[in-house]
This record gives sequence, C-alpha cells and structure tokens, in this order.
Amino acid sequence: MVVFSFYIFDRHAECIYKRQWLPRPVSITAKSSRPVSEPSGLSNGSPAVFGQSARTTDDDAKLIFGTVFSLRNMVRKLGGEDDSFVSYHTSQYKLHYFETPTNIKFVMLTDTKSPSMRIALQQIYINLYVEYVVKNPLSPVEHPGGLGVNNELFEQSLEQFVTRVLS
Amino acid sequence: MSATKTARLGEESRVDKVNAELVTLTYGTIVAQLCQDYDEDYMEVNKQLDKMGYNIGMRLIEDFLAKSTVGRCANFRETADMISKVGFKMFLNITPTVTNWTSDNNQFSLIFEENPLADFVELPDDGRAQDELWFSNILCGVLRGALEMVQMQIEAHFVSDVLRGDDTTEMRVSLVRYIEDEMPPDEE
Repeated sequence: MVVFSFYIFDRHAECIYKRQWLPRPVSITAKSSRPVSEPSGLSNGSPAVFGQSARTTDDDAKLIFGTVFSLRNMVRKLGGEDDSFVSYHTSQYKLHYFETPTNIKFVMLTDTKSPSMRIALQQIYINLYVEYVVKNPLSPVEHPGGLGVNNELFEQSLEQFVTRVLS
Repeated sequence: MSATKTARLGEESRVDKVNAELVTLTYGTIVAQLCQDYDEDYMEVNKQLDKMGYNIGMRLIEDFLAKSTVGRCANFRETADMISKVGFKMFLNITPTVTNWTSDNNQFSLIFEENPLADFVELPDDGRAQDELWFSNILCGVLRGALEMVQMQIEAHFVSDVLRGDDTTEMRVSLVRYIEDEMPPDEE
C-alpha cells in the first residue's frame, strides 16, 4: 500500500498540517469537479512534474478541504446528522476521511488498493495528535498556520506510523 | 445513549490516576497565588480562574474524546449526562448530580456532593472572600472551553458553595447557542 499524502484541518477550516510522501498521480488535478472522467493517458506521461507545476501544495489543501467539506455536508443531508463518509476513490487514488466531534478533519490519500484507513486516522488522532500536539503545554491551543503541530515528536511518530504500520 | 450506558462509559474509560492531595494542593496554591497577585481582588481572581479553566477545557476535550471515543450528543440533556457521568467521573472521579432543568431544556444545575479541589480549604476570614470568591471557579471555565470546541456556546457560574457556608455546591450551566461550522474564507 502506498500513502501519498496526509492533511489535518482545524475547526476554522484552515489546513494546520500537511505531509506528502510520494509524487501524486496527476489526475488529482480534477478531483473536486469530475474525478473519474479524467483521461487516463495523462497520468502515464510524466505525472509528478506535470502535477506539481500545475498547482502548489497549498492549492491541493484547499481543493481537498472544499471537497471533503461539501461531501460531508451532502452525506449529512442525505443520511442524517450522524452520518459521515469514510472514503471515496477514483481510478487513481483513494481519499480517507475521519472527523472528530471537535471538527478536526484528518484526510489521507492512498493508492486505490488500500483497505479502509478510518481506524488508522483515528489512531493518528488519539495516539499522535492528542498526545504530542494537544497535550504539549507550550504549544498554542489553536494552530494558525500550523503553529505547534509541526513539532518533532509528532512528525517523527507520524513518519514511523506511516512507514512501519501502514506499509 | 441510555443513562446506564453513559455511566458505564465513565467507569470504563481508561485513565491514569494521580494523587488526590497533589491535585488539591496544586490547585489551592494557584488560587492562593492569584489572590496575592491581585491584592485580594476576588472578582478578578474569579475571572482569572475562569480564563485558566477555559484554556484547559479547550485541550481537555480532545483528551476526553480520545479516551472515551464517544460521538456527538443528540441534545443538551445528553450533553449534561455526558459531562457529569463521563467527564467529571473520568477526570475528578466524582459524579455531580444533574438537576433543576428549565422547561426549554437549555439550563441545568450541577450539584457537587464532593469536590476534590476544595478538600482542606477554608476561605480567608476577611469578611469579603466568603461573599466574593468562587474557589472552584476554574471548573466553569473548563466546561465553557470544552463545550465550545464541540460547537456549544455556554455560560457557567457557581450559585452556591459549601465553602461559603451554603448547603450545597451548585453550578448553573446555560446553553447560549450551537456554533455553526466555519467556512473557509473566500479568496477569489
């Protein structure tokens, strides 16, 4: 299984942490509008370069937030207030989603063959985020611009979690 | 969630224990220091305690959710039960009684039969502390901070305290509003 990237959004809709492991498949470009209709020929060319030059990682984060935010709201309208979506996938990638009652959103992009990462995201929240970010008394309560989330303990443990546990 | 199930959750959530006297003495020292720093201006001490509690609550809620793995409450009554039977049980090993609901279900009281923060405490005999200082006011802030993070704006204050010679220790909690989801700022 391959993990492409990982994002955390706070309750103010801000991306407070992002991490990328591998060059993304190019067809992520069109994800928020028409994910499956992307011609697959594009991604076989020079995906990383093409994708990277087209957008920055900031744009990625915004696109992803917009997508999960709308999807979550739609799911709640259709399935009731307690309903939430777990993941969606396209021909190129799979997006996993976990949201806490405090409105912190955890998002992970993996290859399409990966099993559900909901438990993994929940573990990242419980064992890494709460332990190393929330409980660090010197880190701020809110994290504008990712302040306080990017501490060494959290990043190292995340790296370990993704490389050891998930691969 | 049924009441008994909620109570069981409070019992079962795994938490590390800490010596009760250590908590009491630490908290007492903080209050004493604040009284000193603000020249016995007890109103200001109440305010500072509430503010400290608020900052604690905003973090504590994440720990609460991580340990109890509970979801969103369906209504404010369920929230009150959760606060008393899971929250207070987990962090202070007490279960304050939820009572005195208003008819619109937006206000309730927590009655503290025991209060680990106030063991060994006697308020100073300066003729004012008995009327002005809410010794455990940090708890109000904790609730306010914690509930704000789960989209509830509330107001909490003590209305009586055994330390002042009242019969009960009672905190009044009122729901102000549910907080809407924030949208990302428009840029284009």
